[in-house]
Amino acid sequence: MLESRELTKKYGSKTAVSGISLKLEAGHICAMLGPNGSGKTTWMKMAAGLVKPTSGEILFEGAPVSIESRRHIAYMSTEPYFYTWMSAKDVGKYYEDFFEDFSVERYRNLLARMELTEDLKVKALSSGMAAKLKIAATLARDAKVWMLDEPFNGIDLLARDQIRECIVERAGEDRLLLLSSHLVEEMETLVDRAVYIREGVLIESVDLEQLRTERGLSMADLYRQIYTGKEVIA
Amino acid sequence: MIRLMKYELRKSWYLKAILLLVTAVAEAVFLIGLWGGKDSLTATGVLLLTILATTGTMVIGLGTVFVLHRDINTKQSCMLFMTPHSSYEILGAKLLENAISILLIGAFFFGLGALDITLLFAKEQALDRLWQIMSEMLRTINENLTIDAPHLAAFLWMLIADWLTTVVTACLADVLSASLLAGKRFSGLISVLFFLALNVALNWLIRLIMNQIPTDFVTSCVVGGCLSIVLGAAMYVVTAVLMERKLSV
Amino acid sequence: MQFDPMIPIWLQVMEDLEVGIITGKHPPGSKLPGGRETAVQYGINPNTAARVYQELEKLGLSETRRGLGSFVTEDGALIARVREQLAGKAVDRCMRDLARLGVERSAAIQMLLEREEKN
Repeated sequence: MLESRELTKKYGSKTAVSGISLKLEAGHICAMLGPNGSGKTTWMKMAAGLVKPTSGEILFEGAPVSIESRRHIAYMSTEPYFYTWMSAKDVGKYYEDFFEDFSVERYRNLLARMELTEDLKVKALSSGMAAKLKIAATLARDAKVWMLDEPFNGIDLLARDQIRECIVERAGEDRLLLLSSHLVEEMETLVDRAVYIREGVLIESVDLEQLRTERGLSMADLYRQIYTGKEVIA
Repeated sequence: MIRLMKYELRKSWYLKAILLLVTAVAEAVFLIGLWGGKDSLTATGVLLLTILATTGTMVIGLGTVFVLHRDINTKQSCMLFMTPHSSYEILGAKLLENAISILLIGAFFFGLGALDITLLFAKEQALDRLWQIMSEMLRTINENLTIDAPHLAAFLWMLIADWLTTVVTACLADVLSASLLAGKRFSGLISVLFFLALNVALNWLIRLIMNQIPTDFVTSCVVGGCLSIVLGAAMYVVTAVLMERKLSV
Repeated sequence: MQFDPMIPIWLQVMEDLEVGIITGKHPPGSKLPGGRETAVQYGINPNTAARVYQELEKLGLSETRRGLGSFVTEDGALIARVREQLAGKAVDRCMRDLARLGVERSAAIQMLLEREEKN
């Protein structure tokens, strides 16, 4: 559903993403893993059309990412991005205005589950509440691809469980969910594929159940192995 | 498109509200002076209103450019650029909202000015005298200048066309800087430099073309205005293309 | 439920369901929660949940009825066999642990009987 071919992004002399060729099929929840600055966000932003590649291609359903693909791809960036003059209600209105797949009802439902109210001002939100609002707005869409960049950042344990539940609810055979997070161990049961990136390069792409069956490793074990170079004893 | 414009207005209404507020204060000063017989206050009011009228539209234009800059360079960029709209629509909405605002505010000040002048000279009952004085003033500048509808209209047309084009130029400069520098340190400064360079080039081009045409005041204003608009439209397209192909937010 | 991240998740969830069937939490013939419900309940991927149901069906412990969902088998003998299997695995685990501690087989069996008596 989402495919990149030799995708590269350079900022001057710095290379953020280097020739990543990756194919992500529908029906999966996929984790994008790697340390800060490894290129995960840049890859996602290129898929969302926010960043233009230096070379290579990024395709959605076989066609290059375009205005049309933005209708079906929901990207949630790490940082807060709502206009500061907005209230939670305004955010809902904005999404409703621009995205056909957005459901105000689902949004309100998600807000309630995250213990947020519509009259809250974006300006007045704590970082945890701002993070929850982003998720509520993004998951209230009925996209074909959701890319959540660090959805668990700054969120307390109970809300994280709630968010995991919401993510599972949105998953489906015809959808793709891509999550990038540092909380590798918390995602173990949630995701079924993992993509490991380091310094802009794709290191490995695995099916997690296969990883467990064939190599006896967990997603976190493989992460440690890849990024420290040390063999993990299974 | 209308939705995009709606949000553009929301983003800049603060600025417009302040403008209207200050205008209300200036108008109040003028009115108090007029009815209280305090000439100093009346004069201050008139002065303030004139300044506001001339700078007001400029401020709105600048506002559009600042909002664009923020929309491109801050984290809020996600909001605008993740929507399924092309850069043509996004930029077009901004420029349209800007144009409409300028026209409305311009009309507002025009109306206010007419009202105030009428009030002023209705009180003094010397409306004719004002007209005479102003016409004489202009005649001393240029034999052919008179205040009549065509002259005024042509002059206003050129002013507005020029200003709208300036706004597009500033937008182009900002997008150019953001596209090439990707938010590096001096991108703000660089965009100002680009802007100045573009302005110089634009003026040179217009002058070149205008020199080919024998003119009188009205024609030169009208043609000059049209030329501005055409060049402005060209720059709009260039800016939109840059946003679509090269800009990473 | 606490998962061991090094063992396939579907295996662990399936075992949990098996235990549920054996202990009567999911009585024979009863309807099992839907795939999505299971996914949400365990906090797992719907794909994984689907796999669990596939495997349960392969074993014969459940059967899918079109449009109605998955139902626990009524085959009492099968359920008894599975109970035997899981119980056997538990015993093996226990014996392995004791062996690792150096406890001899006969001594291990003795310990089991003694502790059982005490309780």
